[in-house]
Amino acid sequence: MYPTKYHKPASISDAVALLAGNDEAMILGGGQTLLATMKQHLAAPSDLVDIRAIKGMSGISTSDTALTIGAATTHADVAASKEVKKLCPALADLASHIGDPAVRSQGTIGGSIANNDPAADYPAAMLALAATIVTNKREIAADDFFLGQFTTALEEDEIITAVKVNAATKAAYAKFAQPASLFAMVGVFVAKGAAGVRVAITGAGDDGVFRHAGLEAALTADWSDSAVNEVAISADGLMSDLHGSAEYRANLIRVMAKRAVAAT
Amino acid sequence: MELTGEYRIAAPRQQVWEALNDAEVLQACIPGCQELEKTSDTEMLAKVTLKIGPVKATFGGEVELVNIDAPKSYTIQGEGKGGIAGFAKGSADVVLAEDGDDTILTYNASAEVGGKLAQLGNRLIQSTARKLAAAFFDNFHERLNQSTPEDA
Repeated sequence: MYPTKYHKPASISDAVALLAGNDEAMILGGGQTLLATMKQHLAAPSDLVDIRAIKGMSGISTSDTALTIGAATTHADVAASKEVKKLCPALADLASHIGDPAVRSQGTIGGSIANNDPAADYPAAMLALAATIVTNKREIAADDFFLGQFTTALEEDEIITAVKVNAATKAAYAKFAQPASLFAMVGVFVAKGAAGVRVAITGAGDDGVFRHAGLEAALTADWSDSAVNEVAISADGLMSDLHGSAEYRANLIRVMAKRAVAAT
Repeated sequence: MELTGEYRIAAPRQQVWEALNDAEVLQACIPGCQELEKTSDTEMLAKVTLKIGPVKATFGGEVELVNIDAPKSYTIQGEGKGGIAGFAKGSADVVLAEDGDDTILTYNASAEVGGKLAQLGNRLIQSTARKLAAAFFDNFHERLNQSTPEDA
């Protein structure tokens, strides 16, 4: 065993003070990745700063066309939210298929995005929906936020407080889950809205979530699953592992993209 | 796992070679390197912290320069233990070729990890190793290009 101190600050400034000057401290969201990593002794933070009790970190608010989801809102709450179902049903659907019920009741949207696991579901939604990531310091467009697997634009003492998502005219997420982990082998989020047609892919890229220009162009011209058939999907830059080769994942991208479009 | 890359550096080969043999330069360029102490002309002790998502492990180990053919090429190899996290080892063949006033640096690196770290799976290890190798040579390239006077 190794000692770790647990903190539950009530404000952002208290949380920042706990993180300041201590590079062995880590932010704790829902702990669905971090606690498992600690149990494996692959991380041993001296201090855990649980940000879930900070005022305003949880919950969902809406305007006519946009959702603001607090960073500490669990996947289960996003999945069950009437507001999310009304304004962006694809996001509620995605949240309802993350991991298993235990993961969904503890895991948080902010934690998922900050971790940027290359097979996590939420990063695909954020990128395709052109979401804005709100932190204690600034607002970051999703396009500028995800910088490769497990890498984000976040600074050391920067804390995600919320995400803002605009409602899309059409949106859907299709995932081929790895049966043991329930992470995406390949997940494709398609969206058509004010930001145009955007297609984001998780699980497949060698360096995390990415947008697919070919699929976006084809679906801009013709929003139909048959349009997806004509798109060249290269295996270059895709991941090969014991679950599947890059070529297999390239084919899954096509299949999942078609399913997602067909579901809209 | 094999990693390769090529860089054009706006500096004469001798200067690039000296930098490649300078412990201070190496420490500044190795991602996450906290300490690098020379124990002989070709051997160093290093402490490197590796961060992959939630995983953070500090490796202590030895770095050695072998197959030295000054000022054209060498192999830099290292092996470190990260406690319960496991071990990592890697090597890179570095070749310097003259091209006018510039130097072309090519590398061919390999990396291997074992222990609990390896359980993270190939997907993480391979792309992380590729990123780390690229980060080292990016840093090195940037540092040398900065330290070269405009009229050199």
